[in-house]
Amino acid sequence: MKVTLVSRSGREFIKGGLELNDSATVADLQEAIHKRTKKFYPSRQRLTLPVPSGSRERPVILNYKKSLKDYCDGNENTLTIVFKDLGPQVSYRTLFFFEYLGPLILYPVFYYFPVYKYFGYEEKRVIHPVQTYALYYWCFHYFKRIMETFFIHRFSHATSPLSNVFRNCAYYWTFGSYIAYYVNHPLYTPVSDLQMKIGFGFGIVCQLANFYCHIILKNLRSPDGSGGYQIPRGFLFNIVTCANYTTEIYQWLGFNIATQTVAGYVFLVVATSIMTNWALAKHRRLKKVFFFYLSNY
Amino acid sequence: MEILHGLIGLVRSPVSSTLPQIGSRLYLTWGILWSFPEIRTHILVTSLVISWAITEIIRYSFFGMKEAFGFAPSWHLWLRYSTFLVLYPTGISSEVGLIYFALPYIKASEKYCFRMPNKWNFSFDYFYAAILALGIYVPGSPHLYHYMLGQRKRALSKSKKE
Repeated sequence: MKVTLVSRSGREFIKGGLELNDSATVADLQEAIHKRTKKFYPSRQRLTLPVPSGSRERPVILNYKKSLKDYCDGNENTLTIVFKDLGPQVSYRTLFFFEYLGPLILYPVFYYFPVYKYFGYEEKRVIHPVQTYALYYWCFHYFKRIMETFFIHRFSHATSPLSNVFRNCAYYWTFGSYIAYYVNHPLYTPVSDLQMKIGFGFGIVCQLANFYCHIILKNLRSPDGSGGYQIPRGFLFNIVTCANYTTEIYQWLGFNIATQTVAGYVFLVVATSIMTNWALAKHRRLKKVFFFYLSNY
Repeated sequence: MEILHGLIGLVRSPVSSTLPQIGSRLYLTWGILWSFPEIRTHILVTSLVISWAITEIIRYSFFGMKEAFGFAPSWHLWLRYSTFLVLYPTGISSEVGLIYFALPYIKASEKYCFRMPNKWNFSFDYFYAAILALGIYVPGSPHLYHYMLGQRKRALSKSKKE
C-alpha cells in the first residue's frame, strides 16, 4: 500500500511517499516515518486524514492501533495522510513529576530555613501549630499527586509538548512559593482553632474522596491506556462529570479555610477556573460521544 | 474603555495587544507620574508625551477619516503603520526609564503599600510590584512590536492589492 504524506500546507512531506504492507497498522506507519525522518519519533507525529478545503470539520486523527486499510476509501490501495509535527514531547509522567516536585520542595524551605531574614525580618519567630499542620497537609497533597502520577493515573495521551513543562512548572512553582511565603511568614496571623480544624478536616475528607475518584477513573482504562473515553460511574460521578476536579477544588478550599491567606485564595480561584474549563470540555466531549449522557445529566 | 471594546468584540483588536498598551498608559500616568511628583521634571517625560501624542494623533485622525469619509488616504495608512517603528522604542524606553528612575521615590514614600500582620495574611509592596512591572516589559515589548510588524505587513500589502 502506498501512503502519501503531506504537510498541512499541502506539499509532500516525504518525497515519493512510503510503501507499506497492505495489513500495516497506523503504528507501523509511524515507525516508518520515524525511520525515514529520524527526528520525528512517533509521539511527535500528528497524523490526520485530509479535510476538504473550506470544510470546518475537525480532522480525523489516526488511531495508532487501527490498520491503515480502515482509513482507505473503498478499495483503493493508496492513502494520503496529513502530517503535523507536535514539537518535542515529554511523557506526562515526567511533566507531572517536575511540576509537583517544585511545591513539594519549595514550601518546606519557607518553613524550615530562615528565608525571611532576606526580606528584612528578624530571625526569631514563633511557629503556630496551624503553620506546622499546613506544612504536613501541603506536602502530603503533593506527595499524593506524585504517587498517583506513577501508580494510579492511566493517561490517554502518552506525551505533552515540551513547552508545557516550562509553563506548568512556572504556574505551580510560583504559586507554591507565593503561598508558602505567606503561610510561614513571621507575622502570620492564625485563625481560630475551630476554623483550622474545620478547614483541615474538610480538606482531608476531600483529598480521600479525590483519591477514590482517581481509582474509579483508573479502572475505566486498561494498563496500556486504551479504553478511550468512558462515562465514569458511581460515587460522586453520579452527580458531576469531573468529580475528581470537584474534590480537588474543595480540598484547596479546606486548606484556605484553615490557613486564610489572600495568596491561597487567589490560587484557589485560578485553579478552579482552569479545572472548570477542563470539566466543561470533558462534559461536552462525553455528551457528543454518548448522546444519551444528556438524558441523565 | 478600549480594553472593554476589545473584550466585548466591538472592535477587532485582540485584548492581548490592547491590554498591555492601555495598561502601561494608565500605570505610567496615574501609578508613576501622578503619584510621585518628583519624577515629573525628568527629561524622559518629554519623550514619553511626544511619543504617545504623535501616535494617538495619527491613530485617531485615521479612525476619524474612515468614519467620516469612509476611507483614508494611503499616506495616512502608511503613517499609522510605520511611525510605531520609531515611536514604540522611544515610548517604551521612556516608560521603562521613568519607572526605573521613580523607584527610589516609590521605596521611600511607602505609598500603596499594605503590610503584615493582618487577618488576611496579605501584603503588597508597590516597590516590588514596580520591579515586576519592569520585568513584564522584557517579554511584553517584543511581543507587541512583533504584533505591530505583523499588522503592518497585513495592512500595507492589503492596500497594495486594492
